[in-house]
Amino acid sequence: MKNRILIVDDSFYMRTMLKNMLTDAGYEVVGEAANGQQALEMAASAKPDLITLDVILPDNTGLDVLKGIRQNDPDVKVVMCSAVGQEVIVNEALESGASAYIVKPFSEEKVLEIVSGALQTAE
Amino acid sequence: MKSREQEYREMYMAEALEAYDAMSRHISELERNPHDSQALNELFRLMHNLKSNSRAMGYTSIGEVAHHMETIFGLIRSKEREFSGSLAAVLFTGVDMIGAMIRAVGDDEVVPDSNVLLDNLDRLVRGEEPVLEGELADEEDATRKLELSDLVYIQIKKLDHLLNLVGELIIDRDRILTLSQEIGNSALQTSAAHLFRITDELQYSVMDARLVNVGSLLNKFPRVVRDVASAEQKQVELTLSGQDIQIDRNILQIITDALLHLVRNAVAHGLETPAEREKAGKPAQGQLTLSAQTERDDVLIQVTDDGRGIDVESVRRKAVERGLVGKEAARQLDDKAVRAFLFEPGFSMAKEVTEISGRGVGLDVVKLAIDSLGGQLRVDSVLGQGTTFTLVLPTSIAVKGALLFELDERSYAIPLMHTDSVVSLWPDDLHVVGGLLMAEVQGENVPVVSLRRLLQNGDEPLQPATRAEVQGRQDIIIVNYNNRKLGLIVDRFLRQQNIVIKPMTKPLDTIELFGGVTLLGSGQVCLVLDVPALTRLFLARRL
Repeated sequence: MKNRILIVDDSFYMRTMLKNMLTDAGYEVVGEAANGQQALEMAASAKPDLITLDVILPDNTGLDVLKGIRQNDPDVKVVMCSAVGQEVIVNEALESGASAYIVKPFSEEKVLEIVSGALQTAE
Repeated sequence: MKSREQEYREMYMAEALEAYDAMSRHISELERNPHDSQALNELFRLMHNLKSNSRAMGYTSIGEVAHHMETIFGLIRSKEREFSGSLAAVLFTGVDMIGAMIRAVGDDEVVPDSNVLLDNLDRLVRGEEPVLEGELADEEDATRKLELSDLVYIQIKKLDHLLNLVGELIIDRDRILTLSQEIGNSALQTSAAHLFRITDELQYSVMDARLVNVGSLLNKFPRVVRDVASAEQKQVELTLSGQDIQIDRNILQIITDALLHLVRNAVAHGLETPAEREKAGKPAQGQLTLSAQTERDDVLIQVTDDGRGIDVESVRRKAVERGLVGKEAARQLDDKAVRAFLFEPGFSMAKEVTEISGRGVGLDVVKLAIDSLGGQLRVDSVLGQGTTFTLVLPTSIAVKGALLFELDERSYAIPLMHTDSVVSLWPDDLHVVGGLLMAEVQGENVPVVSLRRLLQNGDEPLQPATRAEVQGRQDIIIVNYNNRKLGLIVDRFLRQQNIVIKPMTKPLDTIELFGGVTLLGSGQVCLVLDVPALTRLFLARRL
């Protein structure tokens, strides 16, 4: 069965690019959230296998969203997306249960490598 | 077709310009109140996004400025710097610079040099005083431009009005084109041909402006499913797909209730309880899929569950009990035709069917909504394995593909959405069965009726058909409505054409056999047949 992924990013451009990369690679993108509130709702209803989560979001910091998601569903894999300059937050995210992180701007190969790596730790 | 790169670029530009507008607004707020933490957070986030997006697009110089700006806003946020004096001046210059750089990228021009700014931002990070040049500030002011967003919001009724006008225009255009050919003036013909192309493009542009993503509706369903599932104590996994398929906004509006109904029905009646499912050897969690896809010019929206399915035999019994079909005829109907009874008005109210098959509450209402769009509703089901409802919808409401034909020297149109095929048959290909003409079309037995006879004598029963009434080759249009096929004998096929359907005016609007009229280029009025009404009339009048 296809692995199901939820994309969380406040930039439409970024979401579209991630969605295209993941869909082309055969993943199923089950939803796109643009803020923390949406992310929590969609994570609960769509029950994805993996979530790509931007560290900086409008209504909530990515970290709070990460904690909320993990609290509701400890099995879901979360890959943080950040740009250089947020190393502190990324480290904290990894301590709070994120599986991996992607640094923007990212290449397609890198994204797919990290996503499939994170999903494999699930087995 | 736009390349993906082009689309990314357009998205990037739209978002970057919007971000620049927001940055300008927030930095002014910050100037008024240096402790406005919301404005500060937004500036930080907008810089962060612009940095990431610019780098992904390869616009590294914009990314570099945004990165430096983000760093300073981060320092202000952590109270290591104060938004005031020379620091504020540099940040204002930075926002202006970002605007100029984005505009340059949009206009394919050389991106302005930002080294002085970057140097100053570096100094601020290090805690040094920036080097401010008086002229620089003046120069900036002189080149300042006010940018408006590239996106506008528009009321749908304004687009409706535009579309109606385009419809009128196309009818007149066709008339002018025909007249120019009749008159034979070559200059007029050239102008008319040009008018034709321009209006065609206008029509598609207006139709295009009305398109929205199906996702704007589908994405509301996770919440609905969760609520219904918890009320019904079902476990449901919802999967969405095809959210980026595009469709006319009003079509999406009209099917909203129908889709809501189908989804609620699927969760409440289609899917079994976890205990029932486990007993049937299925996983406790039921699967529900909402998907959209394009097929030729149509959009297909499907609601699929892996629940108990529809019990065809109980539907068949019920149809006979309600007198919708004779006992003998019912036995001969295939499963598809039997399931079509579910869409009969009032049929669904039958309590027994609801309980046994888990289906049927108000499906006729769903059917009516789809019919009003000239669409089709289909249902497929395997008992014990699940049910799929398919909505076949036109992409746009303005123009419909139609088949034109002639009957008694008048032109008629029939929407392609309901046309299965056209065939020419000889009397030997037609058989009389139970007073009806039947023909074998693509391996299926289809009743055939003369359209002339069907349109005559109101709703009296049709005279039994005989082979003698058909002589020579017959042009037959096979129409399809609610899984029922019917062959209509016409005098002559004319051509296929896109038509603009106009509603009938009073008092003719009560004749439900015609869905509207259209004007042909010749100026002739052409009636558009309503296949659902015609099929119902045939079923009511046959013996």
